[in-house]
Amino acid sequence: MGFQGIFHVATVAALMGMIVGARSSRAEDAPVPPAPHHLEQFERHVRPLLVEQCQGCHGPDKQWAGLRLDSLAALLSGGDTGPALVPGRPDQSELLRRLRHADEEVRMPPPEAGERLTASQISAVEAWIMAGAAWPEAPPAGAAGIEKQKNHWAFQPLPQAPPGALDPAFIDRLVDTRLAGAGLARAPEADRRMLIRRVSYDLTGLPPEPEAVAAFVADPSPDAYERLVDRLLASPCYGEQQGRHWLDVARYSDTKGYVYGREERFFVHAPVYRDWVIGAFNDDLPYDRFVALQLAADRLCGEGDPDLAALGFLTTGRRFLGVTPDIVDDRIDVLTRGLLGLTVSCARCHDHKYDPVATADYYGLYGVFTSSYEKLVPVRATAGAAPPTPEFTAELAKRRRALDEGSLRLRAESSERFRDRVADYLFAQTELGKYPELGFDQIIAKDDLIAAIVRRWQAFLSPDRAAGDPVFSLLVALLPLRAEGFPETAAAKIAELKAAGAVIHPRILAAFETPPGSFREVADRYGKVFADIDAAWKTLCSQAVAASASLPQALPDAADEQLRQALYGPTSPCTIPDEPIANIETLMDSDSINQIWNLQNELDRWLIPQPGSAPQALALFDRGTPQDAQIFKRGNPANKGHVVPRRLPAAATGGDQGAFADGSGRLELARQIVAPANPLAARVWVNRVWRQHFGRGLVETPSDFGLRAEPPSHPELLDALAAGLIADGWSTKRLHRRIVTSHTYRQQSGRVPGAASAEEIDPENRLLWRMPVRRLEWEPFRDTLLVVSGDLDPAARGGRGSDVLAAGPGPHRRSVYCVVDRQFVPGVMSVFDFANPDLHMPKRLETTVPQQSLFALNHPFVAERARSLVRRLWPEESALEPGAAIERIWQAIYQRPPTSDEREGAIAFLASAPILEPPAPPPPPEEGKPAPSVPPPPLSPREQLVQTLLLSNELVFVD
Amino acid sequence: MTAAPPFPLSRRELLARSGLGLGLLGLAGVLGETSGPVQAGGDPLLEPLAVKAPHFAPRAKRVIHIFLNGGPSQVDTFDPKPALAKYADQPAPISFTTERKTGSPLPSPFGFARHGESGLEISDIFPKLAGHADRLAVIRSMHAQVPNHEPSLMLMNCGDSVQPRPSVGSWILYGLGTENQNLPGFVAMCPGGHPVKGPDNWQSGFLPGTLQGTSIDSQHTEIEKLIENIRSPHASATVQRHQLDWLQKLNAAHREARGDARLDARIHAFEMAFRMQVEAAEAFDLTRESALMRALYGDTVHGRQALIARRLLERGVRYVQLWHGAGQPWDNHEQIESNHRTLAGQIDQPVAALLTDLAERGMLDETLVLFGGEFGRTPTVELGGDGKAKAGRDHNHYGFSVWLAGGGIKGGQAYGATDDFGFRAVDKPVSVHDLHATMLHLLGFDHEQLTYRYAGRDFRLTDVSGTVLRELVG
Repeated sequence: MGFQGIFHVATVAALMGMIVGARSSRAEDAPVPPAPHHLEQFERHVRPLLVEQCQGCHGPDKQWAGLRLDSLAALLSGGDTGPALVPGRPDQSELLRRLRHADEEVRMPPPEAGERLTASQISAVEAWIMAGAAWPEAPPAGAAGIEKQKNHWAFQPLPQAPPGALDPAFIDRLVDTRLAGAGLARAPEADRRMLIRRVSYDLTGLPPEPEAVAAFVADPSPDAYERLVDRLLASPCYGEQQGRHWLDVARYSDTKGYVYGREERFFVHAPVYRDWVIGAFNDDLPYDRFVALQLAADRLCGEGDPDLAALGFLTTGRRFLGVTPDIVDDRIDVLTRGLLGLTVSCARCHDHKYDPVATADYYGLYGVFTSSYEKLVPVRATAGAAPPTPEFTAELAKRRRALDEGSLRLRAESSERFRDRVADYLFAQTELGKYPELGFDQIIAKDDLIAAIVRRWQAFLSPDRAAGDPVFSLLVALLPLRAEGFPETAAAKIAELKAAGAVIHPRILAAFETPPGSFREVADRYGKVFADIDAAWKTLCSQAVAASASLPQALPDAADEQLRQALYGPTSPCTIPDEPIANIETLMDSDSINQIWNLQNELDRWLIPQPGSAPQALALFDRGTPQDAQIFKRGNPANKGHVVPRRLPAAATGGDQGAFADGSGRLELARQIVAPANPLAARVWVNRVWRQHFGRGLVETPSDFGLRAEPPSHPELLDALAAGLIADGWSTKRLHRRIVTSHTYRQQSGRVPGAASAEEIDPENRLLWRMPVRRLEWEPFRDTLLVVSGDLDPAARGGRGSDVLAAGPGPHRRSVYCVVDRQFVPGVMSVFDFANPDLHMPKRLETTVPQQSLFALNHPFVAERARSLVRRLWPEESALEPGAAIERIWQAIYQRPPTSDEREGAIAFLASAPILEPPAPPPPPEEGKPAPSVPPPPLSPREQLVQTLLLSNELVFVD
Repeated sequence: MTAAPPFPLSRRELLARSGLGLGLLGLAGVLGETSGPVQAGGDPLLEPLAVKAPHFAPRAKRVIHIFLNGGPSQVDTFDPKPALAKYADQPAPISFTTERKTGSPLPSPFGFARHGESGLEISDIFPKLAGHADRLAVIRSMHAQVPNHEPSLMLMNCGDSVQPRPSVGSWILYGLGTENQNLPGFVAMCPGGHPVKGPDNWQSGFLPGTLQGTSIDSQHTEIEKLIENIRSPHASATVQRHQLDWLQKLNAAHREARGDARLDARIHAFEMAFRMQVEAAEAFDLTRESALMRALYGDTVHGRQALIARRLLERGVRYVQLWHGAGQPWDNHEQIESNHRTLAGQIDQPVAALLTDLAERGMLDETLVLFGGEFGRTPTVELGGDGKAKAGRDHNHYGFSVWLAGGGIKGGQAYGATDDFGFRAVDKPVSVHDLHATMLHLLGFDHEQLTYRYAGRDFRLTDVSGTVLRELVG
């Protein structure tokens, strides 16, 4: 149904005149673009309606009554019966009349296509027409918009690295030029104590040792700083610090997010990925290789290669209870924002409003991920890991076998049930509404039909596939027939098929010698044919078993074998692929799924405690037959659009590189991202590295380089750093070195004498006339507490995550080795702005709230550090005189001696500190109950003093 | 006159130059990567909890959400369906697929009566609450998206059934800040442990972590078990005062050479924390309430929880969520009669007392009360694995009831309707987005304008839909 013959000719003529008139008057004046708020109204209220309610029948795919409703021009030229609207004249707009019409036969959308629009929806359309039917010029923003996108700085090819780009002085030259342009100048160099603290934190996330500070301050050689930098870059702590930054990009977590009770919630492979990342930074793995491995290690290295762990970048995201579109969305997001600074996930539902990313681009990537499957695979332990005991290995093998055998058995039993009920699955094709494609979780009994299997039959029977198929062509022809008059229409249809010379399988032909009375009968006849074939196959198999012969591979009759393939073949809807339970859990009944999960958990729970000695990677592999994805209109998987080729958006590659042809396309994807011609990857990476050192990026939005991002503060510098990175073999370590050895980085921070005008001209310090003061993030803050108290074991690296607030004096491990549980992020971590591991967070926020102070004041973790430090440096029994003790404490915490004011203040503090009585011991435990916990002793004055220093701004801010 | 910097003004600059306070800034994207007309620098917000003004004059200033987690049955509480009795033990005339199989219509075992001047029908398992009938606006035509707890909890709490998104409380805190800096602005109380999905229910998503709900196990009575780090196990207030006095001296000297606003903010935060220890303890201390008041609420876990909630709201806490208990207590797949009666009995008096108390204090007008679960239950009886009925009901997202009261709500009305059996919302169906849009409206927000820029998009609580239910507004 469409807009049909209701228009009066006179009206049409009048309308056409009006439109022409409107246009010509526009042509005389300069064209008046629609007001932004009208466009906004359109985008907000009207376009979604047109897309969802109308364009299914009046859009690019179908044009009922010759009408399209997907552009203003189309609406104005209208359909078979004339224009659909008159701008400014709701009363003369056919569109509105049809939306409102009382008669179901006339009203749009027709009853079978959708609900009647609500009054508020209709009035939105009316208001839009009244206001002149504002419609943005050609998507997304017209020729000018496309031009703007094309000229956008971030999409421009990188220039060649200019001469000298690898010299730190190059950075200074560009920064100085900008400063001079604003009448400003760089601040003088910071003193050495400040410098070593700054660069130690930046490169290793730890404060310098007091001895190292003293040595550096006293080092007269001109290259003392450069040698210091090299030492820090060579420290294994460097990889831990840089690794933690990367884990934010990768929205790393040790857990899957909320899972049902049947599933282990910890990932087996996450710590292996985390350790791989840290190792990669320490080895200075070139960034292009680093990225490529994280996207396609399965194609770049062999079986068991430790680099397979890199794929954790894609596979440590939230699991969304196993819902594929959401898992894939998370992967598209981490890939595009994390590596390319492009916000592609906007295009899940509609074309990106600002950037050149269309819905087709999103589903181009979607197909890459649905053409990959994931599998937990063992990888070789890296050197130094303790080898597993023989008992561990034997038990592991036992559990793996139990899983494999259990899964095989349960899958076979399910397949058997599906084969027994072919007739029911075929009949279910007439009532697909009962079997939602991507609905919700249901408790499925063994004798239920399974929605996903019904849908697999649907795909198997899709006209494209099955129309010429001798087995199913007849069924497919009869499927759409109505129940009324079925025997007659079916007989006619069969006769028509035969007359057209369609090849029909002899057994099917025999089954339909008489016309069927209903589709139920069609399904039953097919069911009978398949039951006979299955019986024949089983007889053949049992004969072979009885004769101790090898099992048959096929039925002797080729035509029969053709039928058997529909039941047993690899593409049969009855066959459940041999994939991990996470991938196939929609294909079975609830009891079978739970049984396989139990076996999987038995395996996972054996592996989780020992990630280092039996490391596993959750790798992706290409499926045998990669498939392009269909667009989900408005992001709705039940509403499929056309198929789109697997590829990267042209903007992300510096020009259309064509569709992927090799496997899933992940390898090509990886190569295109790190190709030297890619305009984004290198820019995004150098900006992230820059941001670590200056607190802000040259581009403010590290994961959004699109049209809405603020342009870089120093465009030439960004490009020179990016081009330099590539020219320098993508070495991240040398990039850090260039930055931190520049004089820009070595400036003073804080109040710079004589810089009052700079405060006025550039209060945000975007031009870098000084170094910004930065606050420690959660991990360096926690690590610092542990370092200064002597409670850190820096050599305890890798493996299973530790408890972040473990009690006692330790030794404790660095924060990067603590568990990240995305379902239960400890309050303290959220309060200290830890990046939400559920999402790719472009950068951490820096909030200041009293809960942070409460932690510092009251949590035993901080008090324990004070106790340790006092125990180590100034125990109660020590005879050290207070002045010397205070000196030692200051050195440990601040790596400097106290000023005389501070020394006197500390002595006065000790003299006036309240002394608390130890708490009364708890009463003896009641019978059968555990002993109550013993309250900790109160802090002694010395401990109070040290705790106060640990709370100070000097400890948490870096100059 | 100084030269303009060669790039747009940052938020901080704008503040510095105009002398505007934070509260006067438009909200859209204040915290985001970049923001509309006022460009945020890379500068993060120092104090995300500071008080801010909404878009227009609000009807409500604070919210209390009483969450009947597990899914209360609409036909046994606020949506009477006499037709069920007619079809008992017969095949259901209409039925929709839910998580489990269900059979015949199961008539409600409870009686319904009309209450108040409005004659609003309420089941007899809420006798005390029924006394407030004229205050309640029951929405009988709620619907969600799927009949599973997890996505429905996310939809009700965060406006999206799957993606990690900020919770309603976080959005409101983002929009309004909180009026008492010595207490958390968003408190989620659940006695005995976490509900299903735990902290996801009060998450801040991409908003700052400090905007997430502070969860409290309200089965405890000791303050240190209620709020993390609220009390020192190793120092007294005297010790801490002594420490802070010296700390501020050290910090002042450190600040001298630097002069960075963030240093001051951190200095300030310690003083706030010090006061918070006293004030929070006081807020949670029910011995400060009269015996009469405690008796009004009842000396039970739920009574104490509701009374604490009132004390928090009174002290400027913006959003309080009261969960019924750990897990999903209202998930009565079996024996709905005894289970629903017990559960309703646990909260009837506390909720009624809360409404009375808020009204008497003159707070109800500015306090929006929301009462309901993540979905409803089938009017048909659930069948167990053996096909036998167990006198319970399965999940039902096609239609369910919630009610609102206070804060600009026009009480004494039932809005919308389900079909004759109470299965599906048919008249004036209300989505969870509509509910959220209405709540934001009452709080003074255009729900389409309360946005946050993340991942290249301006996100909002109501995603791309939501209609304010004007008929509910008094």
